[in-house]
Amino acid sequence: MIEIRGVSKSFQGEKAVDGISLTVKQGAIYGLLGSNGAGKTSLLKTLAGIYRPEEGTVTIGGQPVFEQPEVKNGIIFMPDIPYFFPQASLRTMADFYRSIYPKWSDRRFKELEAAFKLDTRRKLSRFSKGMQRQASFWLALSCMPEVLIMDEPIDGLDPVMRRQIKNLLFQEVADRGLTVMISSHNLREIEDLCDHIGIMHHGRMLVERELDELKADTHKVQVALRDERHATALTAKLQVLHQETRGSVRLYIVKGDRARIEQAFRVYDPYVLDLLPLTLEEIFIYEMGDAGYDAQPILL
Amino acid sequence: MFELDIRSRKPIYEQLTDKIKELIVHGILQPDEQLPSVRTLSSQLTVNPNTIQKAYRELEREGYIYSLQGKGSFVAPLGPEQKGGKRAEVRGELLRLMAEAVYLGFTESEIGALYRQALEQKRGEKA
Repeated sequence: MIEIRGVSKSFQGEKAVDGISLTVKQGAIYGLLGSNGAGKTSLLKTLAGIYRPEEGTVTIGGQPVFEQPEVKNGIIFMPDIPYFFPQASLRTMADFYRSIYPKWSDRRFKELEAAFKLDTRRKLSRFSKGMQRQASFWLALSCMPEVLIMDEPIDGLDPVMRRQIKNLLFQEVADRGLTVMISSHNLREIEDLCDHIGIMHHGRMLVERELDELKADTHKVQVALRDERHATALTAKLQVLHQETRGSVRLYIVKGDRARIEQAFRVYDPYVLDLLPLTLEEIFIYEMGDAGYDAQPILL
Repeated sequence: MFELDIRSRKPIYEQLTDKIKELIVHGILQPDEQLPSVRTLSSQLTVNPNTIQKAYRELEREGYIYSLQGKGSFVAPLGPEQKGGKRAEVRGELLRLMAEAVYLGFTESEIGALYRQALEQKRGEKA
């Protein structure tokens, strides 16, 4: 279990991570989302024990992480740009990881050959971006980690490989209770992959919830009302995050229980009423809009 | 066993519970039949195992399935409660369709004929 309590980290006086607390249960797949420069990478690096938290504590399984080799043996951090030694091949990188990670499994490394089909003798620098990404996954999974931390891991992978890697991660979660923490801007992928998500902005956590709960809690309502006046009555009764009018159809983003919201609208017997669950992308945009971060209608 | 629509807005966990309920109500999954393990279903559908676990828990809570320690999950015999829930759902659907049918000028006897047609089909399947 990952516990982050009141963690802050600054660079040259600027707070990249500002008093963040979060808990990730063992076997969970946690998606960390956020605006550019929100502090996602800094938080992940603090969690991995690469940065020392200035304030607060980071523990994994109850043990602090920073400069604790025992704990770090079970953690893999995959940076956003894969790094390999100059001239290295998968085979020589495997030798290196074997010497660093005591839980390294040669058996696992061999098994995964069927999944990745990369030439282990070829120089990694001659691999494409996506193939290098595959190589990092191959090495990471062979270290048999308990916690896998990945910064923007989906970049450059083709759809077949995405599926393959997702499947591998799901198996590790189901079989060994691997805990995964992943940051990405690819919300479609995060939506399929994660069970919990956190949205960061300016070093702080805006929302942190179970994904299904979050989706069950926010609804998009498209409605054509019989009378203009009904709209004011409705907005007074409901927690409306956002509203728009397109001709005679109104669009509301409403927080709350689906049945209750539907009931509230039904009372006015509207011409049209549609309640849709939000996509993660919509949740992200509306939550960010709430925090004062939205796309401006600028024409250049 | 079934396909999920990952493009759909409906949460995957809801799609899962709905699909399994449908299979149970239509008798495609028979009482006491074993459901695939979380791990198997996860790799078949490429769905987060925690999501499948959650769907199974929800189905168990609603009485559609039961689980045996160390053996897995099984289909529970359909009780009046599950049928009641499904009936309410179908009633809502029908009402919505009827409203559309009325608007399009369907007569009562036409709708009656459709009911009889469905009944015939069901009998045909059993025979």
